[in-house]
Amino acid sequence: MADDRKRMFQKDLEIKFTKEHGDNKMEGGEITDKKVTYYRLGVDQNPRKVEMRKAGQEMADKRGLVGYNPMMHCGGIPLGQRALTPSFISGTDMMVETDDLHYVNNAAMQQMWDDIRRTCIVGLDMAHETLEKRLGIEVTPETINHYLEVLNHALPGGAVVQEHMVETHPALVDDCYVKIFTGDDELADEIDSQFLVDINKQFPEEQAEALKAAIGKTTWQAAHIPTVVSRTTDGAQTSRWMAMQVGMSFIAAYNMCAGEAAVADLSYAAKHAGVISMGDMLPARRARGPNEPGGVSFGHMADIIQTSRVDAEDPAHVALEVVGGACMLYDQIWLGSYMSGGVGFTQYATAAYTNNILDDNMYYNVDYINDKYDGAANKGTDNKVKATMDVVKDIGTESTIYGLENYEKYPTALEDHFGGSQRATVLSAAAGCATSLATGNGNAGLSAWYLSMYLHKEAHGRLGFFGYDLQDQCGATNVFSFQSDEGLPVELRGPNYPNYAMNVGHQGGYTGIASAAHAGRGDAWAVNPLIKVCFADDMLPFDFTAPRKEFGRGALKEFEPAGERSLIIPAK
Amino acid sequence: MAYEAQYYPGATSVAENRRKHMSGKVEKLREVSDDDLTLVLGHRAPGSDYPSTHPPLAEMGEPECSIREMVEPTPGAKAGDRVRYVQFVDSMYNAPSTPYFRTYAAAINFRGVDPGTLSGRQVVEARERDMEEVAKFQLETEMSCPALASLRGATVHGHSLRLPEDGIMFDMLDRCRLENGVVIMHKDQVGRAIDKKVDFGKPMSEEEAAKRTTIYRVDNVAFRDDAEVIEWVHTIFEKRTAYGFKPE
Repeated sequence: MADDRKRMFQKDLEIKFTKEHGDNKMEGGEITDKKVTYYRLGVDQNPRKVEMRKAGQEMADKRGLVGYNPMMHCGGIPLGQRALTPSFISGTDMMVETDDLHYVNNAAMQQMWDDIRRTCIVGLDMAHETLEKRLGIEVTPETINHYLEVLNHALPGGAVVQEHMVETHPALVDDCYVKIFTGDDELADEIDSQFLVDINKQFPEEQAEALKAAIGKTTWQAAHIPTVVSRTTDGAQTSRWMAMQVGMSFIAAYNMCAGEAAVADLSYAAKHAGVISMGDMLPARRARGPNEPGGVSFGHMADIIQTSRVDAEDPAHVALEVVGGACMLYDQIWLGSYMSGGVGFTQYATAAYTNNILDDNMYYNVDYINDKYDGAANKGTDNKVKATMDVVKDIGTESTIYGLENYEKYPTALEDHFGGSQRATVLSAAAGCATSLATGNGNAGLSAWYLSMYLHKEAHGRLGFFGYDLQDQCGATNVFSFQSDEGLPVELRGPNYPNYAMNVGHQGGYTGIASAAHAGRGDAWAVNPLIKVCFADDMLPFDFTAPRKEFGRGALKEFEPAGERSLIIPAK
Repeated sequence: MAYEAQYYPGATSVAENRRKHMSGKVEKLREVSDDDLTLVLGHRAPGSDYPSTHPPLAEMGEPECSIREMVEPTPGAKAGDRVRYVQFVDSMYNAPSTPYFRTYAAAINFRGVDPGTLSGRQVVEARERDMEEVAKFQLETEMSCPALASLRGATVHGHSLRLPEDGIMFDMLDRCRLENGVVIMHKDQVGRAIDKKVDFGKPMSEEEAAKRTTIYRVDNVAFRDDAEVIEWVHTIFEKRTAYGFKPE
């Protein structure tokens, strides 16, 4: 293809690298220049670093114990020996300080994970059968509405049965609620709209029909326990907190005896038989309960992100938003904190959702695929190209070489992705997602991911950190193996898949690959329709239709999180 | 017919240079004295004895072992040297070597080495005197240009950054400088000041670096133009994929 296309990252890199920010003196030059003057201005050039240094000094004075001091870096040579520059959030005009993309400094990132961790889905049908068949209690839309009114009082921590109980203050748990959804339009019509996740309203018609057909006449509760509870405890608490309050609400709403044996059935349904967690529990060596990030499969994560229902005609955009959200969750929070620690992992993840470098590679691939394979990258099922090794090789190779050449033609792009792990993630994510889009087959996309790693390593004589030499050299061998512990469809793999467990910089890409296969086909969901519907809810504090924009709002301090404690702490 | 090692495919100068690095048949371009090498490595004072972690093997009374009988210990192992490292950083702007080809060169041509390969750096750990042999070989030959390759134990991101105006790969810790037309190191690998300026000679010209490099770049030898290498990568990829495919 002609190489005269305007790069999507051009404007971002021009502003980032040829304009002055703070006092970094980087005015002038071209983003294609191979040489530049380094002024070695240290942290003084950057307003955020100056603010942080001042806060560190004040903290040390106040507590009488030293803390943050940029002169501790490299024995007295502080950060900023090259220019400190801001970044753009891909797909937006938001320019942010990169420090503000660490999740500690970003309330939106924290809330994204809070909203996932504090969520579970609970079936209502088993409970209704218990009430009707065992106890002979009539269940009607009216009783369901009443039950939901009781549960929305109880779930945040309101008492419903016992006398003289302590309760949680509603203003501290105002993000906690339950709604229901069903594939049964007749029942949905009878449910008070405040309690309903309305599939017909939230999804395009075609997707809504598919979702309703999959869900059928079953009914499900989307329960979100309080953020403050989830933060104080852990993800495994979510179903327990929910089940206790669900049980109490059934007792209250249906005038049951608090001690009758049927309550145990309701509890069992809510705690075990009818509950869907966002993440599975993990084995002892990475021990965590359900609803912790290491157990969230790539397919679940692809369904949690909601771009597919608001921009279905642009499946590449869907995949890019999924990559951004999943890189943040898996790299910055899971591997970056749960499994490791510190600050380095943010650097891996942000490369995938800043400055439109991955976006440029993806949309180049879309054009390439549509030209060569007759529109196969557009949304659809009849337009897909058959997933063969030849197709994987063709798209994977073209995508990777295009991305490699961008780093060679635009030295500022190379400087932006100064670590090979960043480059490897971005190149392989583009190759993998594009192949998924074209074939509608996630494992074909995964195959292209590994091909991209091989090509990158040979072209530049280097790849990423040691892990890339391990997982990415052996990964191709398990792509099409479906034996237990050796292979799985990519949608069912996750951070705890044996070969991926310490795969920094990879898991967001894999999630994008899983998503792209389905977004490319126009599917309403990737692996679980219930999860897709559960997060199709505008009341959630984090907007899952646009995770990258939300991260930008967090960085710009425009995002309003839940679970704040100002009500119960001294005013400042 | 005697076996002749076939190191790497490809019909371009980059592929040819890769074969040279792997074979060890590289051109010697400069001299680095033992004392200067010791200074910039920073592990011990020039002229001092090698610190050891165990007595010489000959004094240890080793157990009877067929493997020990078959494998001749390296000089460093014989003497009981500690394990130390040398770490190279190669600029992506046509530095002669790249991390993988430093690793291949070390693993193929030297014994008792433990190479590690990353994107910005390549480390070899070995018994100290064995490591010094590898380091000296790579520093003195066409595997290194003093402007585009350097010894760096930490802060290696200069490999991917734009070059400063003097053409010396960016170094946060300012270990290397261009002085009077030659590149000097005035700090050791990890940035500690050393007693003298160690002269590594003149930088390669841009043309010479482009001729000797082992990295494919679109502004020199484009990767997409080396069809044989790409075909070989595809072959490896297909074989690894097919090996794991078990439909039964």
